[in-house]
Amino acid sequence: MGEINQNITQKTNEKVEEEVNQEEIPGVITTTSNAISDFIKKTAAQDFINWGRKNSLWFMTQPMGCCGVEMIATGCAHYDTDRFGIIPRNSPRHADVMIISGYVTKKYLPALKNLWEQMASPKWILAMGDCSISGGPFYESYSTVQNIDEIFPIDVFIPGCPPRPEALLEGFIQLQKKIAAKKDKGTNY
Amino acid sequence: MDAKTIIDSISNEFSDSISNTLIESEIRVSAYVSSPDVVEVCRYLKESLGFDHLSCESVVDYIKRDEFEVVYHIASYDHPVVLTLKAILPRDNPVIDSIVDVYWNANWYERENYELYGVSYTNHPYLKVLVLPEEMLGEWPLRKDYEGFPQKTAKNLV
Repeated sequence: MGEINQNITQKTNEKVEEEVNQEEIPGVITTTSNAISDFIKKTAAQDFINWGRKNSLWFMTQPMGCCGVEMIATGCAHYDTDRFGIIPRNSPRHADVMIISGYVTKKYLPALKNLWEQMASPKWILAMGDCSISGGPFYESYSTVQNIDEIFPIDVFIPGCPPRPEALLEGFIQLQKKIAAKKDKGTNY
Repeated sequence: MDAKTIIDSISNEFSDSISNTLIESEIRVSAYVSSPDVVEVCRYLKESLGFDHLSCESVVDYIKRDEFEVVYHIASYDHPVVLTLKAILPRDNPVIDSIVDVYWNANWYERENYELYGVSYTNHPYLKVLVLPEEMLGEWPLRKDYEGFPQKTAKNLV
């Protein structure tokens, strides 16, 4: 068990001032331990949580190449991804899923990591298209980062050049199945 | 102004530095220039012969000859002739004068040539990387003997 801080409800004014300095919230227990979430993962409550998570996979519109065009097409009205709870979002802070939809260059990798760290957990990554999986036609370029799965915890690879919107949708459904089966990588992050 | 007039004019003006002139057609001529005189030649082309803009500036790596060629494509809006001007640099120490003073748009061309080939331009106003990440400066990725490519087969392809 980690450190547990519990607020004492009856305090003098001086102590309240100290607490403001320590940035504590009255009536809130904070902990650095994972024990509670580890316990919940063993219970049926996690099934319910995962049911909610898998049905609200908002993805970040961060198109990186020609796959990005297919990604935007997927988000449009024709494919109606809302029925699966898949909605495009513009901000990484609103999003649950990041789609790497193009080749990652050495210059772009820090920005991509930055976006990934801005997303709130739980979060998942899809690798869309041959470029993001292995470099695609640019696999031996001096500026291409190969084997992106060693850098990001990628749950689903969607091959294609570019994959059709149906393929991207299928990738999302596979991700939903992984989340329901508690085999996804994103929840640990 | 036709192609032959232009070639004769620069050959007479810079008889020491201009060599290997070639009239490929009515609208394409080429010439080699010795690298210290490139700014003077460009200034003469711009002010006396009506070549008012630089279309392109690039570098070719001739590794067997152990040389770089800096290639300038200089053209005009007044007459149809495009001049291909080439300067030869040694491969181990490629230094040439910047022509930004004459043609301002050479600025980014020269920065790109610098980051990709390592040709350093003296008197350039801001010789920094243009597109490459900062940490790749010094690798000169478009040189023929560049070794820093990733492995030939990506892991996921196997």
